[in-house]
Amino acid sequence: MARKINVLLVDDSRTVLAQLERILGGVEDLAIVGMARDGAGAIRMATEAKPELVLLDIVMQGLDGLSALRTIKSMHPSIEVAMVSSVGGDAHKAEEAFRLGACQVLGKPFDSEVIESLVENVRAAVEIRDEGAA
Amino acid sequence: MGVKFLGQFLIDQGEVDASHVREALERMEDANPTLGELAIRHGYMTQRDAAQVSAAQRNEDLPFGDMAVEMGFLTSEELVEVLQRQSTQRLPVGEALVQLGYIEPDRLGTLLDAYKADQAAYDVVELDLPDGLVNHRATKYFVELLPRFLTRVARIEAKVGGIEAFTAPPDFAEVCVSVHVTGVRGLEVALAADNDFAEALAMATSGLAPSDLEPEMVADGVGEFLNVLGGNAVSAVTQEGLRVELGPPDYDARLADGWIVELAVGTGRAALVLSTF
Repeated sequence: MARKINVLLVDDSRTVLAQLERILGGVEDLAIVGMARDGAGAIRMATEAKPELVLLDIVMQGLDGLSALRTIKSMHPSIEVAMVSSVGGDAHKAEEAFRLGACQVLGKPFDSEVIESLVENVRAAVEIRDEGAA
Repeated sequence: MGVKFLGQFLIDQGEVDASHVREALERMEDANPTLGELAIRHGYMTQRDAAQVSAAQRNEDLPFGDMAVEMGFLTSEELVEVLQRQSTQRLPVGEALVQLGYIEPDRLGTLLDAYKADQAAYDVVELDLPDGLVNHRATKYFVELLPRFLTRVARIEAKVGGIEAFTAPPDFAEVCVSVHVTGVRGLEVALAADNDFAEALAMATSGLAPSDLEPEMVADGVGEFLNVLGGNAVSAVTQEGLRVELGPPDYDARLADGWIVELAVGTGRAALVLSTF
């Protein structure tokens, strides 16, 4: 049985959250443990729900995604954070996200296969980490 | 899908992982001249000017170039020129990955060809734009990519009409959402639509059935589509070496002046309104 992966979704658009929920609904052994609409909510829910993976938007009202990424990675280095944003193809933003510790930066429109592949990569990394800790 | 930079493409293809890209970025940072260094090298600023800009950045969160323009050390035109020089002179991420041994030198050409083929869907032609929009580089991407994204995201066939001076809001505009693009010059792009078009777009972007689509999700769906279009337009402009930012959607957009681009769409009615600020 595959290692279950807990995922936190963060985007200020309900449309995007619905879209991600639909895509991830088809992935086995995965649970969506929370949804946040801004960076501050992302930090709070990452601390409370301890997901293995956060899918985080960049451009949001209030605390933006890159600021939230910086805080989440400093507080919880083991949580993998993938930026999922319409400006994901902006080289400046993407480079900054990688520097801050993002495991991938995905643009929009979504490619569901790329998101599913990202989840499997994170699952494999978590399984290796679990084995190392055992 | 979408405009992406080479590092993301290589990760998507399984050629490298994020830690390799991170390492390459560190090497690029060491090798590439900063904007201030280039501005000094080309005689636009002195060491003293650059030091003043750096000091001012401690009090205001602005990129170096924008701060230099605000303080009068660079003109907007000089900033654009220095940014473009910086973009052309920098060590590319592909070369950095080769230097670090993560990509074989003779494989880089093949990967670059594959990357260019992947990104060809976002190539646009130069448009015959009104004088007021000529210097807004994002405009051509918004106008040219709009029908492509409508087809891809929402399967709505669309054709773009001419760019006319805006005189009054279109009588069909029941939903109106805008995004702001800021940089050296500001551009507001609004998508005005009737409810049929807006609902079709919202259903496509959310994947929800009509019965599950709450009224507030309709404007949200239009905003998300505009956000995707704007994000890709901004990303394409940054690939040209310019620095622009996209703001979040504004759901209370007020159409006041500028230019209107009529759209012939398969479902409902819609238009794009472009204003500068």
